[in-house]
Amino acid sequence: MDSAVRILRKFVGSTLLVSTLLLLFNLILLGSLIFKETHQEASPEKVVREISSALQGSDGKYSLNPKGGALLQQNRAWAMLLNAEGKVTWSEQLPPEIPHAYNIVEVAKFSRYYLLEYPVYIWEHPEGLIVVGYPKYSYEKYQLGYMTDWLRSLPLRVLLLLICNVALAVALSLFIGTRLIRKIRPLINSIHALAKDKPVNLETAGLFSDLSESINSASATLQTRSSQLKSRDEARSNWIAGISHDIRTPLSMILGYASNLEEQDNLTGEQRQQAAIIRRQGEQLRSLVSDLNLVSMLEYDMQPLQLKPVRLSALARTVVSDFINNGLEERYSLDLCIMDERLQVMGDEKLLYRAVSNLVQNSIRHNPDGCRITVTVSRSPEEPECCLSVSDDGPGVPAELLPELVLLPYSGKRTRPVRQGHGLGLPMVARIAEAHKGKLVLESPTGEGLCATLQLPPLA
Amino acid sequence: MKNRKIMIVEDEPKIREMIELFLRKEGYYRIYAAGDYSSALAICRQEKPDIAILDVMLPDGDGFSLLSAIRTFSDMPVLFLSARGEDEDRLLGLGLGADDYIVKPFLPRELMLRLTAVLKRVYASPIPERLPVFRSGEQVVDLNSAVVRRDGQELPLTAKEHAILVKLYENRGRIVTSDALCLAVWGDDSYGYENTLMVHIRRIREKIEADPSKPVQLLTVRGLGYKLLVQEAL
Repeated sequence: MDSAVRILRKFVGSTLLVSTLLLLFNLILLGSLIFKETHQEASPEKVVREISSALQGSDGKYSLNPKGGALLQQNRAWAMLLNAEGKVTWSEQLPPEIPHAYNIVEVAKFSRYYLLEYPVYIWEHPEGLIVVGYPKYSYEKYQLGYMTDWLRSLPLRVLLLLICNVALAVALSLFIGTRLIRKIRPLINSIHALAKDKPVNLETAGLFSDLSESINSASATLQTRSSQLKSRDEARSNWIAGISHDIRTPLSMILGYASNLEEQDNLTGEQRQQAAIIRRQGEQLRSLVSDLNLVSMLEYDMQPLQLKPVRLSALARTVVSDFINNGLEERYSLDLCIMDERLQVMGDEKLLYRAVSNLVQNSIRHNPDGCRITVTVSRSPEEPECCLSVSDDGPGVPAELLPELVLLPYSGKRTRPVRQGHGLGLPMVARIAEAHKGKLVLESPTGEGLCATLQLPPLA
Repeated sequence: MKNRKIMIVEDEPKIREMIELFLRKEGYYRIYAAGDYSSALAICRQEKPDIAILDVMLPDGDGFSLLSAIRTFSDMPVLFLSARGEDEDRLLGLGLGADDYIVKPFLPRELMLRLTAVLKRVYASPIPERLPVFRSGEQVVDLNSAVVRRDGQELPLTAKEHAILVKLYENRGRIVTSDALCLAVWGDDSYGYENTLMVHIRRIREKIEADPSKPVQLLTVRGLGYKLLVQEAL
């Protein structure tokens, strides 16, 4: 998944979580802090009930027991008892301005609200109506009245409210998130481009200007590095090409005159023999120069590939036939084993031919006492799956030396000098394999010879 | 043949001398040598040589443009001799109409053989090249008229059989892979014709072998291909 989408998902998720937690927290806080306050002291309703039960007596003779008196004192409240006619028949701590008789309208009014700005609470008493008044402004009285339907649908409404909250939270976080992503997106894309070694040029305005600048400068640094590297590679490759070009002219003359001497009838046999040696050595030098040139071109990715479908079985047959046609010595046997006739790769036929014949030549050169060489074409279960292997039953190569075989001779990492040949054969094969997006795998189980496998991707 | 005019264009005087020496040794005696583009062009116009050996790198131009300039007034055969062996150069040279491309360093024998081959091809008598006639055991295979003469009668060869035999004869004594044979007979994309090829080979054997089940002329090389053994050309 795209990392921008991942970021957005995380962002929305955490926003939802935060708002849910906030809501829960608020509910708990509301319950524990706010409503706790109102219930700290005895509620007026409770006080008026207490007073009512604390008032004993009848027919104008009443007395408040001490507990009731203490309660009134504690709340700095006053109390009175109204009989059925609305007359005050008993009172305690009654402020002087409070009237002593009430009609039914007045009773109805103060029972709901205030009596001369004193918040008052009423309760039934066997002798009439108990009225407890609190000091002015100490309580606010509100009348609550609800419709039954409204109450019943309350849970649904609360749920709806919650859903609306969630939807709003999601919408807001999506909105903010996408705006953020829109700003991050170029950054993400440019970092991906950096990884692919493409040039990047971001706008350096906005929220992430410092990041954009860093990415731009990183890209610029990378680009200069790679162009420097490329020009250095080119210079090296051109240098080798130039040297090999300059060697060709004198070498032409060595070869030319040596082979001319070789054919001179007026020279002694020994002299002609020596001329032949010069000519043969010259020919070796010629193959070394052209190999060196090819390896360096491959090393620096400058060898043009003439790609076309190549059938590995046909290639292997050609190589084997050519070795046999050119007079393979008796002590070598060359077998061909084709497991899959159809295997095809996209490749440069000449280079692949060169690679396979190098491998066979390698087996011949390193087993001067003769050996059995097998060329196998098969499909391997792992990638890249087209395999062409050349194996021999000679003494093989110690395992620790195998990785060195594909290094260029005289390169820093190669710890041992090349023993036979010019040492370009296997490095060339490895580079040809790499140029075809494949690889060269060397195996040498102890005492069982060397098996070199070219693994190439199949034709798409 | 040996009186053909040969022009050598090569900026390195020592190589020029050497090639001239070999040509003279080979029997050619009308040799013109040039060291640069302009003098080469002048020789071409004046002497009208029969064949040219051109170096690709010249002090005042390159062999490719020299060839293009020569082609404006002459169709003479041209051999490139180059110190650059890159495939592109080779293709460019051949694409411009050069007749061959030799990479330095070269063996004198190689140069002479190629030069002779080009001269023969271009200046040989206009009769079409005759295909060979050869003996296969008691039978005579006449590729020219596509027949096998056997016991006094003529067995005709089909087109495919003929093509197979021509390819095998060109590589007589050497293994020709079945892929190469299929390519020669059926052209590109000839994969899958191996069995058909086997049928044709069997028919050929019936015509040219004394005992087709025990072939001694047209041999199967197991897993690789076929090989034609030929006593001598007639």
